[in-house]
Amino acid sequence: MAQTEADLLDTPVAGRPTLILRSPDFHAITEVVAEAVERRTPIGWWLFFIPSLALLGLLGVAVSWLFWEGIGVWGLNVPVGWAWDITNFVFWVGIGHAGTLISAILFLFRQKWRTSINRSAEAMTIFAVMCAMTFPGIHVGRVWVAYWMFPIPNQMDMWPNFRSPLLWDVFAVSVYGTVSALFWYVGLIPDLAMMRDRAKTRTRKLAYGIFALGWRGSVRQWHHYETAYLILAALATPLVLSVHSIVSMDFAVSILPGWHTTVFPPYFVAGAIFSGFAMVLTLMVICRTAFRLEHIITLRHFDYMAKIMLVTGTMVGFAYATEFFTSWYSGNPYEIFTFLNRARGPYAWAYWTMITCNVISPQIFWFKKARTSIPILFVLSIVINIGMWFERFVIIVTSLHRDFLPSSWGYFTPTIWDISCLLGSFGLFFTMFCLFVRFLPMVATAEVKTVLPQADPHWQPGPEREIRDHRAARPAGGPEPAPEGAS
Amino acid sequence: MSERAVASERDLVALRPEQATIPPGHPWNRIPLIAAVCALLGAAACAILGAANPKQFFFSWLVSFLFFLSLALGALFFVLIQYASQGGWGIVVRRIGETIFAMLPLMAALFLPLLLGLRDLYSWTVPGAAEHDALLRWKAPYLNVPFFLIRAALYFGIWSFIAILYYRGSRGQDVTGDPGVSARLRRIAGPAIIVLAVTQTLASIDWIMSLTPKWYSTIFGVYFFAGSFVGFIALLSVVAVAMRRARLLDTVISAEHLHDIGKFLFAFTAFWAYIAFSQFLLMWYANLPEETIWYKARLEGSWMYVTLFLAAGHFVAPFFYLMGRTVKRKGATLAAGGAWLLAMHFVDLYWQVMPTLHPEGLRPSALDVAALVAIGGCFVAAASWLLRRQALVPLRDPRLAESLAFENA
Repeated sequence: MAQTEADLLDTPVAGRPTLILRSPDFHAITEVVAEAVERRTPIGWWLFFIPSLALLGLLGVAVSWLFWEGIGVWGLNVPVGWAWDITNFVFWVGIGHAGTLISAILFLFRQKWRTSINRSAEAMTIFAVMCAMTFPGIHVGRVWVAYWMFPIPNQMDMWPNFRSPLLWDVFAVSVYGTVSALFWYVGLIPDLAMMRDRAKTRTRKLAYGIFALGWRGSVRQWHHYETAYLILAALATPLVLSVHSIVSMDFAVSILPGWHTTVFPPYFVAGAIFSGFAMVLTLMVICRTAFRLEHIITLRHFDYMAKIMLVTGTMVGFAYATEFFTSWYSGNPYEIFTFLNRARGPYAWAYWTMITCNVISPQIFWFKKARTSIPILFVLSIVINIGMWFERFVIIVTSLHRDFLPSSWGYFTPTIWDISCLLGSFGLFFTMFCLFVRFLPMVATAEVKTVLPQADPHWQPGPEREIRDHRAARPAGGPEPAPEGAS
Repeated sequence: MSERAVASERDLVALRPEQATIPPGHPWNRIPLIAAVCALLGAAACAILGAANPKQFFFSWLVSFLFFLSLALGALFFVLIQYASQGGWGIVVRRIGETIFAMLPLMAALFLPLLLGLRDLYSWTVPGAAEHDALLRWKAPYLNVPFFLIRAALYFGIWSFIAILYYRGSRGQDVTGDPGVSARLRRIAGPAIIVLAVTQTLASIDWIMSLTPKWYSTIFGVYFFAGSFVGFIALLSVVAVAMRRARLLDTVISAEHLHDIGKFLFAFTAFWAYIAFSQFLLMWYANLPEETIWYKARLEGSWMYVTLFLAAGHFVAPFFYLMGRTVKRKGATLAAGGAWLLAMHFVDLYWQVMPTLHPEGLRPSALDVAALVAIGGCFVAAASWLLRRQALVPLRDPRLAESLAFENA
């Protein structure tokens, strides 16, 4: 059956769509990505950077006060001994997972659309891990002995408990941070060399040059690079599952109803990817407009990301339902009470916020119109992250606040310092991200070039090209064509 | 690769039907008859041996039933995910999956013998079981025979409906070549996956978890899913290689496709281990009697050896075996790994079910083999009979050309 142009455009199953719009040539990609770093700092950047820096300052104040005065400045107390500190930790570790999924798992699954977003998603991962690592560090109370978390030989012959998931956390998160940073850096090398070669000042040339590690772009170097990238992707893939599984075990190895349930590891992983994609979406909606990358990060990319959010959001909802059903099926009165208490107790508002944001709201992504509407995507990405923060809050606080003994029941209320630490962590995250987009190429140019039609060895200018151009062309200022496919 | 070879590969947009059917006189034409004879022999053995030991018969039948059911459910999930994700590489092996999940209505018939032995299998179905047991009384709104039967009917109804819908759609496309079929099936794949996930989870609770009626685990549905998906991919690798050996589809299924099947097999073997270990670790760690009761039965006596064999044989050995590239690209080595994992999937289900009947230790029975041959015979006979009547690949799927030309980078 001969395929006509109309078939290609309208049949969702025929042909593979062009990922990059406006048919740029290789150099145009370099230009648009490098320009964002090379041009004078725009005012808009300061508008994001200064508030972020201010929030980072707030984190500094909050943490200093915490160290000075002690954990008592937070609202947690018996029976809620863990509250926002660990909520924030799990929240931020979870955010990071999308970056690793995009760069490792989607790479192994040959999802070429990842190339437009992987660089910034990986950067997001690293910054999210930084935010996450802050909280276990500061929540120990006696911060000067925080190094006891590490199994360091010492004269007291004292070791951390190797059977404690809190120690596994130290290993899991630090390995995760290391591998993510390495993966990100290896991917950056060709682009750092590109920035070095384009540099107009000595300082820039030196700064980018040092980190480019002498990259010359020879075939041999590319060969090694691609092998290294594949190996790093394979190594990072189990980390997508293991890190949040281990984080979930902080709770699940206990015997506390609401914490101890076997589905926690995969369910935490699904939630992590869900929230991480929401954060990628939030960042990309802003960046693609701010840096005029609409033809590289297209509605099609958002369409795909929204589908992943629909899948993972529904998985999370399925896990909520499984937990609820099994609590009844178990016949264990404490299990049953915990779940009914979540839905009807003093924290019902938090529970229903979680259900609304995480399970109900992403269902709108069944509709292509929603998946390709920037305002809907942007709002939902924030709604989902609120929901995922509340999920961790619900798991942690509602399971603790009503102890087995009603005489020990309590209600957690955050103090100004709890709130400052949370807001401050956003300050840290956005400050780092602002610095990233200012000084490093935020799109992996070499990878994007490989998905251009002309990178195909069989590509030749001809009628096929016209079809692709037709798809890409749009009147200046006109609306972006919605990706075909899926209703 | 020469210019010409490239050109011819790219021009290959459709297969001629005779390239993708079992030719007359081919030895595979005899499989349905041979398998049917095996099924009859197996059924006869079941009848003779089972009359003396009905309890053993029902448990053996349950294990083999679950084994083939899980393969069919794994196939359904595989095909649904191919549609939903608009996968390209796997079109050439999709018909194998479609043929296997088309066995779901047959599995409904093979479920029926179990209904005669509910009291032997599930202690909660024994009249009066709940009378002196507060926990079973509490669970009675879910664990009661009428509702159990209604649910089973619903599962089979839903699975057969999805299976027939997709099988018919794909077969119909062979004739019409209408790309709209792919679009329609893709659109409903998402909801179908959700329905499959819910029904499969509940079925695993009903048919396996409720063997130990007081035991519960929220991850159990995921565990059953992981096992069935590994099982299906293992079967797929064996069938794909066997077809190439039999000079069927040997020009269609290439080392590239075997490589991808091998990657799936490797990845989901690890996924199965991840899920199995998550369940074990959390229960071992918390050490609550209501949970450890399930593992206690499996860590005592000779069951302990089965448990260790499962960990080594379903994960450690295949994990290292399948890691390399060459193993996955060669038919013989891939099929060996697949056959091994298929056997381990059976061991996994056996290990889940049988300690209920034989808490004292592993007691293999001739009925285990008889039931496997009886159900397997029916399954293979019906599936190979379908294969004879249809093209072995979706001939006019819009992505067939892409799948034929597929290469791992």
